Amino acid sequence: MNTDKAFRLSLFFFTISSFIIVASIVVSLIATSYPIFMRDGLSFIIRGAWNPVREDYGILPALLGTLITSAIAIAIALPLSISLAVFSSELIPGKFKIIMNNVSDLMASLPSVIYGLWGLFVLAPILHQFVMMPLHMHLGFIPLLSTRPVPTNLFTAGVLLAIMIVPFASSVIREAYSAIPYYLKEAAYSLGMNRWEVIRMMLGYIKSAIFAGTFLALGRAMGETVAVAMVVGNIMRFPKSLFDMGYTISSLIASQFPNAEAYEFMVPALYGGAFMLFIMGLAINLIGFSMMRRMVVHR
Amino acid sequence: MSFRKIKERIMLGLIAILALLSAVPIFAIIFSVYFEGMKYVSLSFLIDLPPPPIGDEVGGIGPALAGSLILIALALAIGGTIGFFTGLFLSEFSHTKLAQQTQMILQIMVEFPTIIVGLFAYAVLVLPLKRFNALAGAFALAIVIIPYIALNVKEAYKSISFTLKEAAFSLGLSAPTAYLRVLLGAAKSGVLTALLIGMAKAAGETAPLLFTILGSTFTYFAGLDQPIHAIPLLIYNFALSPYERWHQVAWGASAVLLTIILTIFLVSRMIIRGART
Repeated sequence: MNTDKAFRLSLFFFTISSFIIVASIVVSLIATSYPIFMRDGLSFIIRGAWNPVREDYGILPALLGTLITSAIAIAIALPLSISLAVFSSELIPGKFKIIMNNVSDLMASLPSVIYGLWGLFVLAPILHQFVMMPLHMHLGFIPLLSTRPVPTNLFTAGVLLAIMIVPFASSVIREAYSAIPYYLKEAAYSLGMNRWEVIRMMLGYIKSAIFAGTFLALGRAMGETVAVAMVVGNIMRFPKSLFDMGYTISSLIASQFPNAEAYEFMVPALYGGAFMLFIMGLAINLIGFSMMRRMVVHR
Repeated sequence: MSFRKIKERIMLGLIAILALLSAVPIFAIIFSVYFEGMKYVSLSFLIDLPPPPIGDEVGGIGPALAGSLILIALALAIGGTIGFFTGLFLSEFSHTKLAQQTQMILQIMVEFPTIIVGLFAYAVLVLPLKRFNALAGAFALAIVIIPYIALNVKEAYKSISFTLKEAAFSLGLSAPTAYLRVLLGAAKSGVLTALLIGMAKAAGETAPLLFTILGSTFTYFAGLDQPIHAIPLLIYNFALSPYERWHQVAWGASAVLLTIILTIFLVSRMIIRGART
């Protein structure tokens, strides 16, 4: 039938457009960043410099900033998201469970610019006064806390990212948790385990889902742009402590791009940063996906 | 009380506290946005031009609101079409290798940093036209929402019972009629939800707009090849400006944006619940 064939063909073309888009994105990143890699080679990613007048660029501080902020985010978000997942699937009755899941879904769909605005004007001053200053005053001898904090810095960005990624991580964990066969739970209780011991056993059972959720959340944290750009401080230097102002790759791109056209190598340098971000994110997400798949096979 | 019992109490209490703690921010954010923002929102706030940075003029977010509506519509037209047919393909040809690979690509696209999409749109639509333009922004937003729409449309068509599909085809209908007329009715609520998710995403995204639309403050709409403004971009720019007056406009704009997002969220929940019962 002719219409059927035409219909199938058009479905096919719409479907492969996703491949074309992703391929063109990769090609455009490589093609635009190519000059900076040709000129500087590896030193572009293992040095710290941002001097457009001298056309001198090295993005290591921003790479470190990305790693530091997302490490803080994961460290805070992991216990929170495991608790949230367990709490909503184990400890509360059905009606509250739905409310809790809806709240979590709403958190995931809030625009990041709203998180950023709240982070800048509400969270940052609170953290500064009640968390960072006390920590710095009393524990300032620890190198990680040694910088005298201003409200916007790497730590604030990490905390804000943690708040943003909790719903993602917890929904992955929640899904795995609710898919655990019921007989396992029954068996555990019949052995005389108490509720906490059962929960601990179940969490052990879905270990790979917890890892998968963590990696996917890590990928989100590394790529998040505007919320971070609003609270990270935006200064290109090697961070001396968690309380130092800094950059992440994505916030570097967001705040430097408007004046990039004026310089010969700045656009390539920013696309080079984006390319590094793409590679790191892809690697982390592929690890996350493969763990997720292992989980399915395991079951 | 035995040691085991004490440990159980402590751990369960800790889980409850941490879980509730992780839900605190969303309420704090909604409260702050409405508390700070609602003071400035009025009908004229939705229509007027932004105020100068200094002075008492209240001003508004008219151009940004108009721009956002245009960008959302365009992004849905482009991304919705591609996403819908991709989702239909994924559901109906799920056994093919292409479907499995597409699924993978879409999952990668969901996790893609959206700022990279913005850079891509800049390279292919801003540089050649030598001007920031609305089309580049809509294109970037469309790329961002394609995977969300496709994956949800796929689920919608997957959920149609096989007997209904069989019946549609046994009537001798052509594939387009069967999928787009008869079966679309059965998948309606799922497809609508998919479009709403894409719409919410397009309304809130900022990073894809940073290098594409520029944000023209004083015109509502001048053409697809001209700069345009958007609410998220206005919030970002004004929040980072040094002017108190603009911070207030940013809060007001956030209240408007949050209302849009909450409305879409509630409507999609209602559709899902309606479909279940």
